[in-house]
Amino acid sequence: MPFIEKDGRKIEVNEEGFLARPGEWDEQAAGILAKIEEGLDEMTAEHWAVVNYIRGYYLEKGLAPMVRKICQTTGFPLKHIYELFPSGPAKGACKVAGLPKPDGCV
Amino acid sequence: MKRRKAAVSGIADAPLDTRSQERARLDRIPSLAPDRLQTYDASADNVGRFLRLLGERITRPLAVSLTACVHCGLCADSCHYFLARPDDPTMTPVYKADQIRRIFKRHLDWTGRVVPWWVHAGSPQNDEDLNRLKNIVFGTCSACRRCTLNCPMGVDTGLLVRFTRGLLTEVGIVPEGVFNVSRDQWETGNQMAVTEEEYLETLQWMEDELRTEFGTPEVDIPVDRPDCDVLYTINPREVKFDPRSIANAARVFFVAGEKWTLPKWGWDQTNFGLFSGDDKLGAYVARNVYEAAERLRAKRIVISECGHGYRSTRWEGYNWAGYDQKVPTESVVVTLQRYLREGRIRVDPARNPDPVTFHDSCNIARSGDLVEEPRWVLRRVVTDFREMHPNRRENLCCTGGGGLLSMAEYRPLRLEVAKIKAEQLKATGAKLVCTMCHNCIDGLTDVIKHYKLEMKVVQVLDLVSNALVIPE
Repeated sequence: MPFIEKDGRKIEVNEEGFLARPGEWDEQAAGILAKIEEGLDEMTAEHWAVVNYIRGYYLEKGLAPMVRKICQTTGFPLKHIYELFPSGPAKGACKVAGLPKPDGCV
Repeated sequence: MKRRKAAVSGIADAPLDTRSQERARLDRIPSLAPDRLQTYDASADNVGRFLRLLGERITRPLAVSLTACVHCGLCADSCHYFLARPDDPTMTPVYKADQIRRIFKRHLDWTGRVVPWWVHAGSPQNDEDLNRLKNIVFGTCSACRRCTLNCPMGVDTGLLVRFTRGLLTEVGIVPEGVFNVSRDQWETGNQMAVTEEEYLETLQWMEDELRTEFGTPEVDIPVDRPDCDVLYTINPREVKFDPRSIANAARVFFVAGEKWTLPKWGWDQTNFGLFSGDDKLGAYVARNVYEAAERLRAKRIVISECGHGYRSTRWEGYNWAGYDQKVPTESVVVTLQRYLREGRIRVDPARNPDPVTFHDSCNIARSGDLVEEPRWVLRRVVTDFREMHPNRRENLCCTGGGGLLSMAEYRPLRLEVAKIKAEQLKATGAKLVCTMCHNCIDGLTDVIKHYKLEMKVVQVLDLVSNALVIPE
């Protein structure tokens, strides 16, 4: 499997750029995924609000939350999620949150 | 002529990943039943079962495609895999089709009995061979059927690929992504395992937003309303990750004065049975939609912008389910065309000034016969519409078709051969590429990102909704 690397930290991702082992996720890994995979220069407090919620939901239920839940919890309108993560909630935010790629047509 | 040296084959060496299957068995999920979802059993006679089903399932169209090929090689130049890897003969459609053809010849055709060496007859010996077959029919073909259209003998390689996928599905030798989505569709009735509560809550949310936007409670997103003119069915990703398209549809329906509804059950018009080759799954999912229309006495089923969903629900599903078509089934783009033609909605194309090109989805244009309708609509809602070349039924696949988006193991090859698509997109000079398919959205987005193109992907409904003139 391929690796992505930044600041001396190497993380293994799958062919789609999702974290190979979701257990390896931490804040530094999120920063690297955000920069390299999603092209974000900086993770703001708003990015973290989305990512932390998705991460917590995933650890509890084993799958990605509905975008409805993400907006409800963070208080951001749907449009803003796409401004924060240009690839959208599934391929952008879930990836930075260290989830495996959601199943289905995404 | 000097023969070119064959390159190393692009066929992925992906082992069978059964982790999800094992979890499903441990969890004893209800859909693990003989007539439903199958898992891999290493101790079973999988080759024997594969061969038995092959014999049982041969139909006349399959037999024609299996025997009519004269190996002329014309299909090669219609395949984006081969166009991108011209030194790799394993990328030609005929090579891929020959992998099932040789088994057919060995076991069912007289030529394989009389002159097996001449027709290259052969048989899979073990599960390893079946796994290699899996990597060919799932990993090196997006089932786009461009070769089918260009075959002088009428060989439907797309049909052969789907047929072979279906045989492998019966012995659980499938990519993990295909298993996961099939499981969810069997288990929950939709491919993203969205619960009824989540579905209803999201629709309510979009309704609230529209009411704020219009300032009236008259705009709504009704669920299970009987006797409507339109039963609207969607792709689960709309409700799970991006319900803006549902709001766009509701906005247009409201302005057009449409009497419409979504069903509470049977709302998923996508169908992984088309990709996995499993007609039973195909029948189950399609029947859910048809029965919803019957239960609610809807006059018409309208399918949101989704390529394989359109093909499955509009065309294939009736056969899979053995279901008489009682009401018309159409794509929402046809509905939009009717609204524009009848003057039920008005649009201002000046609101979409960026150059737009249109990408025909394989399952909509080649396999669905919907070609001019989206163009008719686009010319009225944008100011700068330009064709890509080739286009219409000859368009090249987004490279993510055939369920490939859900099979990460084949992504490196998919993106490599996507250079053909990238060149085609780039030559248009368009800023927006419009498509009627959710699969194509992600396929094209991957191509755009990988080849660093300055483009964005939109759908017809996005552009119509953006150009929509809201009456005072």
